Amino acid sequence: MNTTQSIAPGSSLASHEKKKSLATRLRKSGAVYLFLLPTFLLLAVFTFYPIISAFWHAFFRWNGLTSEFVGLGNFREMFVIDRAFQASLPNVLKLTAFRLAVAMTVPLLAAELIFSLRSSRMAYFWRVLLVVPMVVPFVVMILVWLFIYDPQAGIINTLLRSAGLDDWTQLWLGDIRLALWCIGFFGFPWVSGLNLLIYLAGLDSIPHELFDAAAIDGANRIRRFFSVDIPMIMGQIKLIFIMTLITQLQNFQDVLIFTNGGPGHATMVPGLVLYHSAFFYNKMGYASAIGVLLFIIIFVITAINMRFIRSDIEYTPE
Amino acid sequence: MHYPIKSSGPWGFVQRYNLLSNLFLAVIAGLTFLPFYFLLITSFKNISQMQHHFMSPTLPLHWENYVIAFNQLIKYFWNTVLVTGISVPGVLLVSSMSAFVFARYSFPGRTVLFYTVISLLMVPFILTLVPTFVWIKQLGLLNTYWALIFPYVAGGQVFAIYLLRSFFATIPNDIFDSATVDGANIFQTYWRIALPLTTPMLSVVAIVNTLHVWNDYIWPLVTLQQDNMRTITIGLRYFQGQFQINYGPLFAGYILGSLPLLILFLLAMRPFVSGLTSGAIKM
Repeated sequence: MNTTQSIAPGSSLASHEKKKSLATRLRKSGAVYLFLLPTFLLLAVFTFYPIISAFWHAFFRWNGLTSEFVGLGNFREMFVIDRAFQASLPNVLKLTAFRLAVAMTVPLLAAELIFSLRSSRMAYFWRVLLVVPMVVPFVVMILVWLFIYDPQAGIINTLLRSAGLDDWTQLWLGDIRLALWCIGFFGFPWVSGLNLLIYLAGLDSIPHELFDAAAIDGANRIRRFFSVDIPMIMGQIKLIFIMTLITQLQNFQDVLIFTNGGPGHATMVPGLVLYHSAFFYNKMGYASAIGVLLFIIIFVITAINMRFIRSDIEYTPE
Repeated sequence: MHYPIKSSGPWGFVQRYNLLSNLFLAVIAGLTFLPFYFLLITSFKNISQMQHHFMSPTLPLHWENYVIAFNQLIKYFWNTVLVTGISVPGVLLVSSMSAFVFARYSFPGRTVLFYTVISLLMVPFILTLVPTFVWIKQLGLLNTYWALIFPYVAGGQVFAIYLLRSFFATIPNDIFDSATVDGANIFQTYWRIALPLTTPMLSVVAIVNTLHVWNDYIWPLVTLQQDNMRTITIGLRYFQGQFQINYGPLFAGYILGSLPLLILFLLAMRPFVSGLTSGAIKM
């Protein structure tokens, strides 16, 4: 990071500046603080205050107007009383595990296929084509899949009926055994444009000498994939892993539109319990407590990831 | 990778043109676009065409589906355009000002303030959803565009500052030094020199934030309860409830709702793709 420059008087790092008193330096940096003012004003009002409010009210019964201290009562309610919350935990674990497995494999496979093409024009074509669905608003994607699953007019059941397989038609999202899997299956074949781009960026950055060396050593394509490609893009793999994990643990947008947690609590996830508590039952304190719990889980995972899981293979060309 | 192709004959031909890879990619792309195929063909059908020719395109094309959808959705569309039009320039201005001084100036508290901002990248949406809602309500901002604009600018600037600061730091010192020699003050340096040199990164920030505003669902859903205030994502959701079996106008509406971002993508493919990749660094 470059810090030495000499534009505004009083703000340079010249050594004589450092000897001046803090008051002088603060005064002389006035214009700099003016530049920071909008950022910190907005953060104070719309970010810092809500964060403090979340941690504070997690220990209160709070309806948005009046609050009453309940200690750990909200957390006790989650694990002892609230059936919806308890049902949501295995669901979110299953969904997250499924989405992780998918994000680790399908976009990587597509990226390897694109990367292996000799024609750079074809590679560019496939890359752009598979990224295009990203610009379709998420809500539209969900609504289209709602149509795919529709028991009457939906694509799956219509195709089954026209194939004479009427017995195979299902209620899909309305079936208590199938609903969660239907939500997991949403987005098939799961080539997320974003993940594809990240994997491709990783593959593109592998030095060519490594491929040549692998070829000379007689490694075939599969062997190279496991011995060269995978270790070299470990950073990207971890990034996608942690991103998917964080997104999925707090996600409830698709469930809200698909099933609203039902049938029963078959597709309930913690984020949706939070949403219902706050916006239908006006239990703002309880909802804040769920938010705090999810934040702590996400924070711990991120911290573990940053501290203990480092890329251990580095390559520096001579 | 260019490997010598040893084998010849039909298998060599397959290898030379990566037929297997292309075939596989075609299958993946085909499955990815299959729902959009149904979306597109159904958007031009009336009820009878949909029931009798479910899987194939039909004539005549019922363009009136698009007219119906357009008339219903146009107000939501303008709401989203308005919110985007204020919050995205807002993010650009506020974040570039902060990133500029974080990158180019030294002042008491610089490190602490910078890490205070950057640490917010670790705060998930779910933590602040409810308290921010109550706070916006207490401020009397529910059912106003400000309920979206203020949080979008406050939240969007964090990642933008992170991106822009490293970009500002790469601008060579000489450029700023010569500006100082010419007597430029901090405001002139920012506006005339730093900002124009940062246009590529600013467009990335603009794209990331535009995508966010056009995709956001939960926040406008809870803060805008009046129909005439709704953004396009919420409008599409409620639009869905109005058509029980007549999927034509409904799907025409989904396509209309997707068009603005698609056009943006076609116009600015390069910054779009790099914007998406850099947007991924956010955790």
